[in-house]
Amino acid sequence: MTPLSHVQKTGSLSSDFVRTPPVTFESLFTSVAHAAYGIAMRLTRNQADAEDLVQDAALLAHRGFDSFMSGTNFRAWFFKILINCYYSRRRREKSRPVTSDLDDTPDLYLYARSGQAGFPTQGPDPASLLLEKLGTERIVGAINRLPEEYRVVSTLYFMEDLSYEEIAGVLECPVGTVRSRLHRGRKMLQKALWQIAEEDGIVSQPADQEDA
Amino acid sequence: MTRLDRTNCEEAFRRLDDFLDRRLTPDEMRIIQEHLDICAWCTREFSFEASVLQGVKRKVRQLDAPTDLVSKILSQLPPEQEGQS
Ligand SMILES: [Zn+2]
Repeated sequence: MTPLSHVQKTGSLSSDFVRTPPVTFESLFTSVAHAAYGIAMRLTRNQADAEDLVQDAALLAHRGFDSFMSGTNFRAWFFKILINCYYSRRRREKSRPVTSDLDDTPDLYLYARSGQAGFPTQGPDPASLLLEKLGTERIVGAINRLPEEYRVVSTLYFMEDLSYEEIAGVLECPVGTVRSRLHRGRKMLQKALWQIAEEDGIVSQPADQEDA
Repeated sequence: MTRLDRTNCEEAFRRLDDFLDRRLTPDEMRIIQEHLDICAWCTREFSFEASVLQGVKRKVRQLDAPTDLVSKILSQLPPEQEGQS
């Protein structure tokens, strides 16, 4: 007599998925750990918190590994868990004041300001001089000035080569939302970058509001 | 003939972000590209925006994870349970 369990495991009608060949959690996690740490580091802004966040996500992912569909995108699945861990940590903290002076950033803000300040606006890679002068930490700081919903989606966009669809999956929101937040977020980011360039004295601050 | 067949600067600009992220259909991509080929003004703006996006990506990705990160985290996971029913 064939035990029922055996029939279910081998029968073609079985809906049970079988992991073949065995893909271990360890190997999958190892393949995404570096990228996950990068995102965590950019979101939390400090190494200890970033490590804790990846650790939290790894524990949860390990516990829920049975629900991961073998053959699907582990990276997107893991990032989703990572972002959820990040949000639940943030809920425990005091929410930051929302700065929204970036809201009304006009199109081509950095282009216009760069032109006025004598920074390159043409040639190969025209923005690189300004970005070079700002440096990684200050650019990360500019992304962190964005309101939360723009900050998280922008971090995923800039840190990882994820499609809009993958980002939507990670954030569990519609693709259209990802698109509009990314587009709006990058406008805000340009203003934030310029603000920091002024604060750092890379470009001179206007002495007064432009008087006509 | 679609409206896009004779695209102007305004229409091209409206598609800038989607163009840079390759979110347009191949036809639309081609039409915008054709406009860029003949419009120095839009080319300058598009190139600048692309430069900002690429530059920010390049900068924020400069990051080293601690070398023992993976082993440290894996060592703290509960042991695999074989043959759970
Ligand atoms: Zn044009």
